[in-house]
Amino acid sequence: MTFELELRGITKRYPGVLANDAVDLAVRPAEIHAIVGENGAGKTTLMSLLYGLFPPDEGEIFIRGERVEFSSALEAIAAGLGMVHQSFKLFPTLSVADNVVFRQEPRRRGLIDRAASVARVRELADRYGLAVDPEAVVEDLPVGVLQRVEILKALYRDANVLILDEPTAVLTPQERDKLFEVIRRLRDAGGTILFITHKLGEVMAISDRVTVLRNGRAVADLVTAETDPAEITLHMTGRAVDLDRRAPEHEPAQVVLKVDSLTVIGEHGRPAVADASFEVRSGEIVGIAGVAGNGQSELIEALCGLRETDGGAVSLVGMEITGADVAGRRSAGLAYIPEDRYAVGTIRQASVSENLLLGHHRNPSIQHRGWFDRQAVARLARRLVEVFDIKAGSVSGPVSTLSGGNLQKVVVAREMEQGTPLLIAEQPTRGLDIGAIEFVHGQLVRFRDQGGAVLMVSAELSEILALSTRILVMFEGRIVADLDPSKVAEPEIGLYMTGAHLEKAVA
Amino acid sequence: MLRRFPDFLGDMSRRALVSPVTFSLFFAFALAGAIVAVTGGDPLAAGEEMVTGAVTGSGLRNTLGRAVPIVGMALAVSIAFRSGIINLGGEGQMVIGGLAGTMVAIYVPGPGYLIVPLAMLAGAVVGAVWGLLPAYGQTWLRLPILITSLLLNYVARAVTGYLVRFHLLDDAVTLTSTRQVPEAARMPKMPVFGGVSLSLILVMVLVALLWMVYTRSVAGYESQMTGFNMRSARYGGIDVEQRTVQVMVVAGAIGGLIGTHLIIGEALRFIDGELVLAGFAWTGLLVSLLAVNRPIPIFITGLFFSGLQIGGLAMQRNAGVSWRLSQVLQAVVIVAVACRLSVWRSERRRAEPSEADAAGVGEV
Repeated sequence: MTFELELRGITKRYPGVLANDAVDLAVRPAEIHAIVGENGAGKTTLMSLLYGLFPPDEGEIFIRGERVEFSSALEAIAAGLGMVHQSFKLFPTLSVADNVVFRQEPRRRGLIDRAASVARVRELADRYGLAVDPEAVVEDLPVGVLQRVEILKALYRDANVLILDEPTAVLTPQERDKLFEVIRRLRDAGGTILFITHKLGEVMAISDRVTVLRNGRAVADLVTAETDPAEITLHMTGRAVDLDRRAPEHEPAQVVLKVDSLTVIGEHGRPAVADASFEVRSGEIVGIAGVAGNGQSELIEALCGLRETDGGAVSLVGMEITGADVAGRRSAGLAYIPEDRYAVGTIRQASVSENLLLGHHRNPSIQHRGWFDRQAVARLARRLVEVFDIKAGSVSGPVSTLSGGNLQKVVVAREMEQGTPLLIAEQPTRGLDIGAIEFVHGQLVRFRDQGGAVLMVSAELSEILALSTRILVMFEGRIVADLDPSKVAEPEIGLYMTGAHLEKAVA
Repeated sequence: MLRRFPDFLGDMSRRALVSPVTFSLFFAFALAGAIVAVTGGDPLAAGEEMVTGAVTGSGLRNTLGRAVPIVGMALAVSIAFRSGIINLGGEGQMVIGGLAGTMVAIYVPGPGYLIVPLAMLAGAVVGAVWGLLPAYGQTWLRLPILITSLLLNYVARAVTGYLVRFHLLDDAVTLTSTRQVPEAARMPKMPVFGGVSLSLILVMVLVALLWMVYTRSVAGYESQMTGFNMRSARYGGIDVEQRTVQVMVVAGAIGGLIGTHLIIGEALRFIDGELVLAGFAWTGLLVSLLAVNRPIPIFITGLFFSGLQIGGLAMQRNAGVSWRLSQVLQAVVIVAVACRLSVWRSERRRAEPSEADAAGVGEV
């Protein structure tokens, strides 16, 4: 048979790294083909090679039996490939239709025919069951809809093969289910979908076949119906892992963090955090669930001193820190794993050891009167690299060469090392592979078991459910629920996350 | 993931060969030689005059002397750039500090070993204050330092011009100038290479000090991290505003020191407008950019640029080739280095599939 898409012996080398090692991939027409692997396994590189972003060192690409060589993404698009990136590439102030037809606008007498573009986008959306209003302005739309706009962009350019890169990372469970419907409909209409993910549940739910990458090699090509998550995990990691580790029973001890009626006014003058009150005790992990953009980031930034508050009080181990600056809060006993490990948590131009110091560089154990004890710094860095198993060439090498998982280990190592009473962990495992997720979860649990208090924000409900002692749900800046994870199911949390509980209450 | 290259020394020499600096120098000199040849000169003779003019006899003294303001101003701008602050006010800080130092040297009586340091101190303090203005403008009023520091250059010129013209004028000469700095209050010259200003030592101490600060002090670490990534710096509890103020104070102080040196060590009178003519602040800025804001490379690059300028003058005298050719050389080196840098960077960006893409979520 002719494959829709076939990669043969694709190899890509970077100095010292074999990113893709003779990868074979065969995708049949009208199938949903999942590509799974840990971060650093070579998924992103493989897709970039396929999409013409840079050429492979060796190997061939065939589309419907014909050998192709792309020197740019434009050529890949012309050959019928469409990619939906994880970060959306849309013009926020333009309409959905304008975004979709961009650079291929229908024209009439040399001018853009707006009516025709709206009509064509509407027709396309209806055909594939993508619920999108072509005339809506992009910046007013929720994330799930933006993703549909990206899919429409690809379909408008006649994509036969749609590549979705970690498409569910930003979606609520309900949005995810809708996306799956769309994907199935596309397949039934004859489209081929490459679905990149590291979530096994999604692989099982949506894919027809699955290719597993590990260390740059394609180690397995499986029919989904004939395999199970355990087998895939084994291929991904080379060993078995257990993610569903429930929090053990324990007694919550004294209050570490006390937040009282905290209000933060957001960018548009509306409260981003409204009257939030809660406590975190030592020996517990409090998970904050919610769809991204419902005030979690603002709440955390306010707690960490990175954002001004507009009412309420915060205290840390009994000490009032409402007006303290970042340094003051850190020395009062706050550690913080930020959401964005690339733009905030680490400094890409700095070395591994410089990154391991950040935020604790005034600690008297490594500096005297403003001069670093260089041996103490080196010892600290070497010890953290060893204890947390950070895979770095050298501690004085640039941190930018580390993989995502190792970068997060740098952040986790740095923040955990200080033995503070409170750890705030914001999306601590986003974008990480299973091995790294397991590691970070293990560290959070260890921190809790040593008597630390953890406040965790996560968009992953499974993560919240697996780790939390209590679950707070944020919706539109308010804490709308305080739940016991042993007595609540995922769909119920989803209702709170989307505000549906409010409608229920009214009805 | 990252493996070190096994042959470290081989790698170093390979890097030196492919380094943009090596290439740029070669390219610049080749082009300059071609220009000389096309205009009917002898490139080899011109080159020889340039080199001998820069490093032999009084040429060496002049090269070292001119390196003082070039390196000094480069250091001043480098510490701002390293913190991510675009301080274009070096010239104003130099001029206003220079006048303050000159006034102390002229009007405060006392022995040289007291007056010279006092004059330098006064220059540094006033230069620092001039640096503080844009710093507070940014931290209090959110006026970008880039704009205010640049505009304050003109204010500094006008203020010093006014003071010299109406309050400090020396009626004995036809220049718009202060009196001459008295003998005792002049920066001493060292008995090496025919008399090099003691300020060279000061600049070398500054180079060493800044190297120390940036390699092993908390202040240097915080400054560098702020320059790398301001968001991360804030996250790490670094008081970015306070660092901005401190950096501008130090940058302004160095500017004031250099300005004072240029009067009490070189010109001996503060002539209105004269201090900005040589463009040391701007040459220093280029030097700092070429040396990627590192103190020791700044020293070497500053010496090289100084040598180019002095050698260019010698070339004009002895080989009949216009000294402007050395300005062409300087410009070509800068352009070539800048181009090579950007080519190299974009190659790197292409070669590394961005991990950051995997993290960017919800970007609309």
